[in-house]
Amino acid sequence: MLDFLQAVSDGVLFGATYALIGIGFTLVFGVMHKINMAYAAASVGGAYCGLLVLKVMAGAPAWLVFLGAFAAGGVLGWMVYLTCFHFIPLSSPLATLMSTVGMLLLIDEVIVHVTNGMPQNYPLMFDDVMLRAGEFTLRGDLLLVFGVSVLVMIGLLLLLYHTRLGLATRAVSQQPVAAQLCGIRLVRVNALTFVVTGLLGGIAGALIGASVGMLSPLLTLPLTVKGLIVTVIGGLGSVPGAIVAGLLVGGFENVLQLYRGVTERDLYVMLLLFVFLVFRPGGIFAPKSGRD
Amino acid sequence: MSLLKIQDVVTAYGKIEALKGVSLEVAPGSITCLLGPNGAGKTTLMMTVAGILKPRKGGISFAGEEIAGRAPHDIVARGVALVPENRLVFPAMTVLENLLAGAYQRGDKKAVAEDIDRMYARFPRLRERSAQHAGTLSGGEQQMLAVARALMSRPRLLLMDEPSLGLAPLVVEEIFRIIAELHRDGVSIFFVEQNAHMALKVAQHFFLIEQGRISFSGTPGALAEDEVIRRAYLGSAQQ
Repeated sequence: MLDFLQAVSDGVLFGATYALIGIGFTLVFGVMHKINMAYAAASVGGAYCGLLVLKVMAGAPAWLVFLGAFAAGGVLGWMVYLTCFHFIPLSSPLATLMSTVGMLLLIDEVIVHVTNGMPQNYPLMFDDVMLRAGEFTLRGDLLLVFGVSVLVMIGLLLLLYHTRLGLATRAVSQQPVAAQLCGIRLVRVNALTFVVTGLLGGIAGALIGASVGMLSPLLTLPLTVKGLIVTVIGGLGSVPGAIVAGLLVGGFENVLQLYRGVTERDLYVMLLLFVFLVFRPGGIFAPKSGRD
Repeated sequence: MSLLKIQDVVTAYGKIEALKGVSLEVAPGSITCLLGPNGAGKTTLMMTVAGILKPRKGGISFAGEEIAGRAPHDIVARGVALVPENRLVFPAMTVLENLLAGAYQRGDKKAVAEDIDRMYARFPRLRERSAQHAGTLSGGEQQMLAVARALMSRPRLLLMDEPSLGLAPLVVEEIFRIIAELHRDGVSIFFVEQNAHMALKVAQHFFLIEQGRISFSGTPGALAEDEVIRRAYLGSAQQ
């Protein structure tokens, strides 16, 4: 029983990174009704770029690396928008899917080439802190992952619900024609959505690197799949849904890792997706309204 | 000089031309109505003036400046606002947020707040529902909200695409009362209608569009006298 509780709590804490990735997919889908397949790869790419801080300034503190990943994520998000969406006909349902899958593979290749395919160590924070309650423990680094993720999510919700850009973003996702009639620039909102989700992704990538202790290009594909699963389970276009689903998937996979081992784990995550697709295809929080 | 001048505008969806060379003029300070059957190109014309659709040929000038092919935000900034067909309110945003979205391009926070108060005075139901999601409003309330949202950009010309569509007769009367009121306040209005009876009570000039072309232009008197139009749009029971 204690093992179970431990697995759930560790999983849920780590699941906060899945929630961030899920939010990234869901926000872009909400605004443009497109899936950005390169999102998780660009997030990992942003985390790699954070390591450049250590190149420039040896012995830089970990939080500076995180900040670098955050900023690089935003820049990469904008570049993904420019290369995969801006000049591509949006009316074709397959065009941006193909361009972003291409970008996913490209980012993977660049990482492999630059690092010679070797995993890179990632700076840890609070890895020596451990909160104990009898046998039950809370790892300091996982608490950091969770805490930073929650802060980022609060920041995002403030942006969405208390700023002009947030108002414009919600307007475009609910009713793009009316948003334009209000004088909102569709192209600008689209591009800024990519920057904002990129920032989120960069920090998520850095947090994953910090809690695993290293980054590897092997992370991108599984993270893409997890992000999409979280998006579907949460309900396409729903930010609260992505948050809940991210934590759910994190806890769920960690419990199955405990009982069935790491090799079987993802099988059950797929099964969870399957169950949702059959019994609740709209996700936990099916959005109240899409575009009509 | 006319406020809005549309000249030989052609707008097409792929190979199909919905507007086949439309020309018309809206005088400043007037209420002008565009009548026409379904599929004649009324909505296409409104969307073209607002910049959502780009004309393939022709010119549109507003207050003497060419606006054909310009982006919607540019056209809104010049003082043209469209209340779209089916209202298109932001359903998961509150009534207040919908109004704020309408004022998106305005930086003057204080004046925006005053205008919101003015809208609430004109539409008391909106004040009552200020914090409610727009999707929960009735059709009539949504229409009021769509009009108020468009007015929040302080337009000189208000375009309305079938404001009475799908509304109960009492609500339709209310809408037309508001159109007359807005006109008294100095807003020029160019609206699309299928309800010719109501339109006759407020509009000073009529255009009829059929199959992408203007087939009639004249005063309400001339419209009512035209035998063919009367039969098609006013019903044979008239007179």
